[in-house]
Amino acid sequence: MKIAVLMKQVPVSNNVSVDPDTHALIRSSSEGMINPADLNAIEAGIILREKYEGEVVAFTMGPQDAEKSLRDALAIGCDEACLITDRALAGGDTIATAKTLAKAIEIYGEFDLIMSGALSTDGATGQVGAMVAEYLQLPHVSEINGVDFADESFQITKKFQNNIVELSCEGPASVSVCFGVNSPRLATLRTKRAAKNKEITVYTNRELQLAEQEVGIAGSPTLVVDSFAPEYQKKAKMLLGTPEEIAEQMKELISIERGKN
Amino acid sequence: MGKKRIGIIGGGISGTALGYHLSLYDNAEITLFEKDTIGGASTAKSAGTVCLFDDSLRNRYWDVRLYGFESYLKMEAEEKGSAGFDKSGTLVVATSEEVESVIKTGIALTKAAGYTGEYITDKDRIKEILPDICTENILGAGYTEDDGYFDGTMISNTYAKKMQKNGAVVKIGVGVSAVNKENDKITGLITTEGIDYEFDYVVDCTGPWSKFTGEMVGLDVPIWHTKASAFFLCPPGKKLSYDFPVLKYPEFYALRAGDNIFICKSHLSMDLNNPMHAGQWDPDKLPATGGTDDYFIDFLLDQLECKVPGIVDSGLVSSWLSYRAEPKDFLPVLGETPVEGYILATGYGGNGVIEAPAASRDLAKLIMKGESTPLLEDWAFSRLMK
Repeated sequence: MKIAVLMKQVPVSNNVSVDPDTHALIRSSSEGMINPADLNAIEAGIILREKYEGEVVAFTMGPQDAEKSLRDALAIGCDEACLITDRALAGGDTIATAKTLAKAIEIYGEFDLIMSGALSTDGATGQVGAMVAEYLQLPHVSEINGVDFADESFQITKKFQNNIVELSCEGPASVSVCFGVNSPRLATLRTKRAAKNKEITVYTNRELQLAEQEVGIAGSPTLVVDSFAPEYQKKAKMLLGTPEEIAEQMKELISIERGKN
Repeated sequence: MGKKRIGIIGGGISGTALGYHLSLYDNAEITLFEKDTIGGASTAKSAGTVCLFDDSLRNRYWDVRLYGFESYLKMEAEEKGSAGFDKSGTLVVATSEEVESVIKTGIALTKAAGYTGEYITDKDRIKEILPDICTENILGAGYTEDDGYFDGTMISNTYAKKMQKNGAVVKIGVGVSAVNKENDKITGLITTEGIDYEFDYVVDCTGPWSKFTGEMVGLDVPIWHTKASAFFLCPPGKKLSYDFPVLKYPEFYALRAGDNIFICKSHLSMDLNNPMHAGQWDPDKLPATGGTDDYFIDFLLDQLECKVPGIVDSGLVSSWLSYRAEPKDFLPVLGETPVEGYILATGYGGNGVIEAPAASRDLAKLIMKGESTPLLEDWAFSRLMK
């Protein structure tokens, strides 16, 4: 089974700066890490590979620095990695990004399953996975909780309106994986060292051959009109008194909060 | 007796320990300025090991080690958790006769002070204490169950509380933008809020920032940064079946951190001439987590493979990079400088938690009574000007 995992390098800290003109996040100002939900997608992919053999290939689009997160993905257990990087691709919205990723996957080879994290911790649009599927004309199931393979189809579980829904989907297919649905395995010092020496495929727009007006800022119809940090408010209140008095205060607070719904 | 007005820059272990020791004098009027949080930055990233015997501090400074250790034990006795003590014990491994001799002397001093300590050559017994260790190529190991590691952040906050109780002022979230002097004599400082303070003494307790702090009075503080790249490992099987002690080799050390194991290359094995180990950088640019170099992964992997093979395949939970402030002889820089009234309490390197109590005790005496001590003579700024 050949699995592609789309992953994103996100800032470790929430303390990122915002471009005053474009209102886009300036990600270079912070240390990067693999988006947490993408780690769940990688784990789900590795579990499938361990069960059915094959390989897991991590894809990411970003600056050269995103190679660090790809090496982390290799250290965790991905077999191969592909970095899509080019100044011409910078500043792309979800449409331009999805178009670029889809093209890279197409060039890289055939895949049975394309996986991504359901949401990123920075942009949190949750759109790219489904858009890639659309560009590749694949069926897509969003925000899944689990995936297996049986009867020549992917058996997918997802939560929908407080119910667990089971779906069957023929491959090749695409899914986005919810954060926290599994426990991502950790790299070790040994696998980190091994990953350092692995070859990473690098695609620029020279390989992708996408028209300039289709990618990067030029290919992005999205207009961010504003972005701002939420107002920071310290609202913690210490409850004081005997255990009984504190319990009484908590009971009252809960009843007030309930009343708000 | 007239009041002495003292401004302390930096609220890490150095600044708060000094603030506390100064606050024990009735005529000290102390204001501490911390630009971020008390016990944050490099203090928060310290391992906090205070071992009764290891090679982190030469045995000639035994009283410094013991004073630090017992100060924190007293703190814990007064309020449990106030020094964050984890009594994990320490296993110090002898890989050469030279190290063995240091350990044996340390054990003798430890026992004389009323604590337990033994030098073990029975390799089965060493493996009982640390089952994952490889006992080939070692001569023996020193072991005590009485020590362990403390929490530098907790200690700093406890010292800050104590000094405030004694009348000192602690300004949190307030940096210092200028230090004022007239005719090479300190007159005060200006904060980032633009407020002027008058002081008789200004003490630089800014550790890795000292180079920049010193520039405010035209002083070249001769410290380098060595990289403290720390890694947190989750043992195979998620949880160890035994209590992991502080483990000290000359090249690296390890200790338990909850269910994880913290490992780091030892600061005395750093080479100031190696640009991978040392340099002069901007501590403000350090990320909160990550930022470590592959070099240290390779180094620690090689060390664990031959010395503690049982944990070599642990999962890597997280890592961080911190800068230690080290003069070229790896000892602190304390006391007077060519600028009258500008005092240094910096350069503790990897030993801030161990050394700060004794160094602060003596420094407070120097500031308040004008009396120097053998320790201050040894660690004086003037030694680095020769």
